[in-house]
Amino acid sequence: MFRTFLSLRYLRARKTNWIGMAGIFVAVAALVMILSIMGGFLQVMRDTLRGNLADLQITPGELKSIVLDGKEVDAERDVEGLVEIVENHPLVEAATPQLGWYGLLMPDFLERAYERPLADQIKLVQIVGIDPETEVAATEFRESLEREYSKKPGGRIDCTVKRPSNLDDPFALPPDDGRRRRRDERPPDPILVGEQIAYIWGLYKGQTVTLFSATFTDKGKIAETAATRRFQVVGSFRTADNEMDSSRVYLLRGDAADFLQRDAPNDWTSVVVKLKDYDRDKETVREELRSELHQARYLRAPDSRSEPIQTWEDFRRQLLRAIQNEKMLMAIMLSLVLVVACFTIFALLSMMVTEKRRDIGIMAALGANSRGILAVFLLIGLWEAIVGSTLGALAGIYGAIKIDPFERWLSSTFGFQIFDRDIYLFDHIPSDVTPLGVGLIVGGAIFFTLLFAAIPAWRASRLDPVEALRHE
Amino acid sequence: MSDSPDITRAHDPATCPLVANHVRRSFKVGDRRMEILHGVTLELGRGERLALMGTSGAGKTTLLNILGLLDTPTEGAVIIDGEDAATLSANQRARIRNQKIGFIFQFYHLLPELSSLENALLPAMIAYGRGEFRRRRSQLEHSARGMLERFGLGARLGHRPAQLSGGERQRVAIARALLLNPPILIADEPTGNLDRGTGERVLELLLDEQKERGVSLILVTHDERLAKRCDRVLYMEDGLIQGDSSAPIPT
Repeated sequence: MFRTFLSLRYLRARKTNWIGMAGIFVAVAALVMILSIMGGFLQVMRDTLRGNLADLQITPGELKSIVLDGKEVDAERDVEGLVEIVENHPLVEAATPQLGWYGLLMPDFLERAYERPLADQIKLVQIVGIDPETEVAATEFRESLEREYSKKPGGRIDCTVKRPSNLDDPFALPPDDGRRRRRDERPPDPILVGEQIAYIWGLYKGQTVTLFSATFTDKGKIAETAATRRFQVVGSFRTADNEMDSSRVYLLRGDAADFLQRDAPNDWTSVVVKLKDYDRDKETVREELRSELHQARYLRAPDSRSEPIQTWEDFRRQLLRAIQNEKMLMAIMLSLVLVVACFTIFALLSMMVTEKRRDIGIMAALGANSRGILAVFLLIGLWEAIVGSTLGALAGIYGAIKIDPFERWLSSTFGFQIFDRDIYLFDHIPSDVTPLGVGLIVGGAIFFTLLFAAIPAWRASRLDPVEALRHE
Repeated sequence: MSDSPDITRAHDPATCPLVANHVRRSFKVGDRRMEILHGVTLELGRGERLALMGTSGAGKTTLLNILGLLDTPTEGAVIIDGEDAATLSANQRARIRNQKIGFIFQFYHLLPELSSLENALLPAMIAYGRGEFRRRRSQLEHSARGMLERFGLGARLGHRPAQLSGGERQRVAIARALLLNPPILIADEPTGNLDRGTGERVLELLLDEQKERGVSLILVTHDERLAKRCDRVLYMEDGLIQGDSSAPIPT
C-alpha cells in the first residue's frame, strides 16, 4: 500500500518531477505527430508513384510455342480468350488488353528541333494502345481524364491542352476541316498526351505531333524503316504520378497496331487486371492465373528467370523500398528525443534518491523491504511515463489531425509560408495516424522510462538503512 | 557480562522478547578492522524499562541498530520473540521490524511530505497491501487519531512535520512506533533534541504508554533523571557493558 501512496505523494510534492513528465510529453507528442505526418507523406508518395498502373499486368511475351506437360505446343495468342479466363477468376474485377511500346514524340510546330535537337524537344514516350471502353474498368484511366489541372507557384495552371471534351469517348476527333493531314493525306489519328508533355511544349487541342518508333519484322528483326506518323492531340490527362504525366501517351489500340506495322490489327502486348481486393488477393491471384494461363497455353511454365505477371508494386519496387526505409530511419532518429527525456527522468530520480536517503532509511526502519523501496521509486517513473505519454499521445494525435489548419494559422500570423503547397502535388499536409503506431510509441516510452528509472530505484533499494539514517 | 554463559536457550520468549548474546560488531576502516562492540550480552524482559547509558562512542547506537535488526552483528546472536535474527532473510527481518519493533529516534525521522496522521499510519501502510489496508483503514485511522489526540495533537492531524514543534514531532513519532502494538520499543535519546520541559512532557507520555501497554522499552539516554525512572540501567563503555544496576544509580 505504501508504495503507491508514497510514490504519488513524492510525485506531487516534488515539482521537478513535472519536468520529467513534460519531457516525456514533448517526446511522445513529437514522435506521434511527426511520424503520423511522415506516414501521411509517404502514403501520398506511394499513391503518386502508382499513376495509372493496373493492379496486375500480364505480359506473356511474343511466344510462338511453349512446353506443356513435356510436349512442345503452339502458344495461344487470342487475347479475347485470355481476358475471358482472367475475368472468370472470382477475385478479378476487370481485365483489358493493352499494346505497349516506346517511341519518340516531337511537336510538329517545332521544326527547329532539327536545328537544335535538344532532348526536351524530342521526347521518349511510352505508347499505350488501349480500348477505352474496357480500360476504364481496369485502370485509373478515366480518373486521370477527370483530375484537376496541376498548378505551379502563383496558382497558374500548367496545362495548355484541355481534357477531352467527351469523357465517354475521349478519342473523339473534331470535325475534319481538311487542314490537318498525315503524309498519306489521311486525317491524323487521335492521341492523348500527359499533362506535363503538353505543358512543356505548350500544346493545344487540335495540334498535331509526330511519333517515331522502331518496329520489328515478323521474323523478329528490326525493320529497315522506322514507323513515323502524325497524330492529332485530342486532350490531356493527369495521373497522380508526375513521371507518368511527362512520359506517357495513349492511342487507340487499333491505331497503335497499325502505326507500329503489326500484322494483326488487334495486336496486344499485355493484359492489365483490376482485382476486387488488391492488398488481400494479389499473391493468390497471381499464383492461380500463372498456372491457369499456362494450362491454356498463354504463358510459359513458371520459372525463376522471368515473371510474366507483375503487380504495380513490382514496377516501383526500388522506390517503395526506399520509402519504407526512410520511415524506419525517421522513427529511429526521433526515438533519440525519447531517450533524452528518459535521461531527464533518470537524472531527476537519481537526485531524488540522494536527497531522500534519510527517508529511505526511515522506511527501512519501519519495515519496508528493499523490493518495496525499489517499487516506490520505480512507480514514480511509471506515473510520469503513463501521464506524460498519454497526454503526449493525445496532443500528438490532435496535432497530426489539425496540422493543416494549424500551419495555415501560423503562416498567416507570422506572414511567411511554412508548408509550400505548390511544391507538392497535393494541397494539404497529409497525416496518417495509426493506432498501432501510437500504441508502439506509448508502449516504448513507458518501457524506456521504466528502464531508466530502474537504475536510481535499484540504488535506493540497496541503501544501508544504518548509513541512511545517520544523515542528519 | 561478556563472559556469561549462553543465555539464548535459558530464556522463554514469553518473558523475554529480546536477547542479545555475545554480540560483536566490527567495521572496516581503511585496511584494518575496528571493533565497536566487543561481545555484548543482554536480555530485555517483557514490560521491562531498560536504560542504556554511556559516553559518546561507547557503541550504544550501534548496539541499538543491531537490536532493532537494522544492522547485523559480525558475531553473536540477536533473538527476538524466540527467533534468531541470523536465520532470517532480509525480508523477514524487515517484517519483524515492522511488526515487533517500534523505533523512536532522537531526530524524530518523520517523512516531511506526510501529515501527522499519515506519518503515524505509515507502519500500517507498510504492513498491509492495498486491499487489507482498505479493510482495516477505519480501525487503523481510529487508533492513530485516538493516540494523536491523547498526545495533544488533535488539532494537528493534517499538519506536515515542518509545521510542528520538536515536541510535537516526537509525539507523532511515538504514535507511529506504537501503532501496530509492537512488543519492543527502541528509543535512541528520544528527548536528546528537546528542551528540558518539553523533553519531560514527551517522556512522561512515552513512559505512560509503555507501562499501560506492557511493552518492553530499551532506551539510550544521557539523562540520569530519566535513567532513574527505569527498571534497570546498563552502562556501556568501549563496546562492552560495564555495569548493570537494577536500581537507579544515585547521581
